[in-house]
Amino acid sequence: MSLARIRLLQLSSPTLPVGAYTYSQGLEWAAEAGTVTDEASANAWIGGLMHSAMARFEAPLAARLLAVWNAGDDARVAQLNTDFLASREAAELRAETVQMGYSLVRLLRDLPAFRDLPGMNDRLAAIDTPAFPTAWTAAASAWQIPAREALPAYLWAWLENQVMAAIKVVPLGQSAGQRLLAALGDDIPALASTALTLPEAEWSNFTPGLALASCHHETQYSRLFRS
Amino acid sequence: MNAPLPRIDLPPDTAAPAWQARLSLAFAQRDARTVLTRREHLGPLRLQKALYPEGEAICHGIVLHPPAGIAGGDQLSIEVEVGTGAHALLTTPGAGKWYRSNGADGRLTQHLSVAAGGVLEWLPQENIVFDRAQAHMDTTVRLSTGATLIAMDMTALGRHGSGERFDAGTLAQTLRVECDGRPLWLEQIRLHGSDPLLHAACGLAGRPVFGSLIAIGNGLDDALLAACRALPVTHGDGVITRLPELLVARYVGARCEAGRAWFSQLWQLLRPALTGRAAQTPRIWNT
Repeated sequence: MSLARIRLLQLSSPTLPVGAYTYSQGLEWAAEAGTVTDEASANAWIGGLMHSAMARFEAPLAARLLAVWNAGDDARVAQLNTDFLASREAAELRAETVQMGYSLVRLLRDLPAFRDLPGMNDRLAAIDTPAFPTAWTAAASAWQIPAREALPAYLWAWLENQVMAAIKVVPLGQSAGQRLLAALGDDIPALASTALTLPEAEWSNFTPGLALASCHHETQYSRLFRS
Repeated sequence: MNAPLPRIDLPPDTAAPAWQARLSLAFAQRDARTVLTRREHLGPLRLQKALYPEGEAICHGIVLHPPAGIAGGDQLSIEVEVGTGAHALLTTPGAGKWYRSNGADGRLTQHLSVAAGGVLEWLPQENIVFDRAQAHMDTTVRLSTGATLIAMDMTALGRHGSGERFDAGTLAQTLRVECDGRPLWLEQIRLHGSDPLLHAACGLAGRPVFGSLIAIGNGLDDALLAACRALPVTHGDGVITRLPELLVARYVGARCEAGRAWFSQLWQLLRPALTGRAAQTPRIWNT
């Protein structure tokens, strides 16, 4: 296994200390509201989001970010970053990506494996309010991880976090969680390939059910998660 | 008045003539008055005359779309510029209808801009996207710091009154709002008639109507957010969130009327808070 792949495993691991485990992205409300009650409805909710909000917006945007980091087009990085922030349709979804982006930038700054690479630290520091995919792709670029490997890993890390949230809030057993990861993981290679080539005019961040869930979560009485 | 020509839902092989239409408006402040300083039109897009139902400071306008609706091949563009200190309220006389397409895209491109101290209330009635329509709506709003915007949009997929569903066709709808070049809001909707999102829980969950109301300006605070949240939605689901520099209300449901009634109530709270003006429902909404 190449060093680039080892770095990719580190970047995609739930041990990455950016607080991902504190966010459910509306799933906690979906469970509260009775939309997600078991393994099948968790599969429908998480799979629905992976095929839409992730595969048709966040992942293609992350693919563009990685490409423009690689190309040295930092002005375009900054534009994609602000577009991503503006595309977060509820306060908690925006706060989530801003906090995780901030934490990842701080982490990278403290990692010699990143910090000591020429230039990258300064380029990332120049981005105002970096969103999570912006910081994540900066690391992927610095560590020379090819897009065809980075994108499936990005989707996988998101999926794993959503399934962990489902295990807590539905709740589901560990075996059900593994079945969900295996079933939904099947779709990742194809979704990642599509994300790599989807033209910007076709990106779609339309997931009204997620927007409703996330806004309802803001006023949910009892909650474990920050989104 | 333009005598509206009836525009019927043509079978797909009928070659209907396509509209090319453009409307360009500018509003400016002259002393205490908002005046219409530009009113150019090409084709069947028109501004019904400038009205002052609440005094000379605020200019109300009704934008008339082409006779009855938009078909495949139609290309419409609307530009609105609101200058420093000017205040314009624009609406439409009825639902915008997007007809079943003969294969070509129908396209509406809107550019709205508001200068510092200017106010734009952009309150069109809903768009009804017929089954097999190919509807492209692209709206860009450019604000300067200190501008105020209250904008709503609502879309119904299919004529649910007659039991029609959106089983085939395309809806591509983009709303981008920027302030001094910084994007504040970006919604990019790409939906196809067979899209799983029409039925998915994270999508529309079978509900054909969705819309959003966006408010930007001085006076957005947590008290206003709480007051807005206290307004009930009678049918469907409505939520409100506050993002940096804007407040967003979103409706998803089965009926345009319920969404519009809720947006109207929200507007009656937001308008005085953001503009210092009491809200009187535009008469056109009641017709």
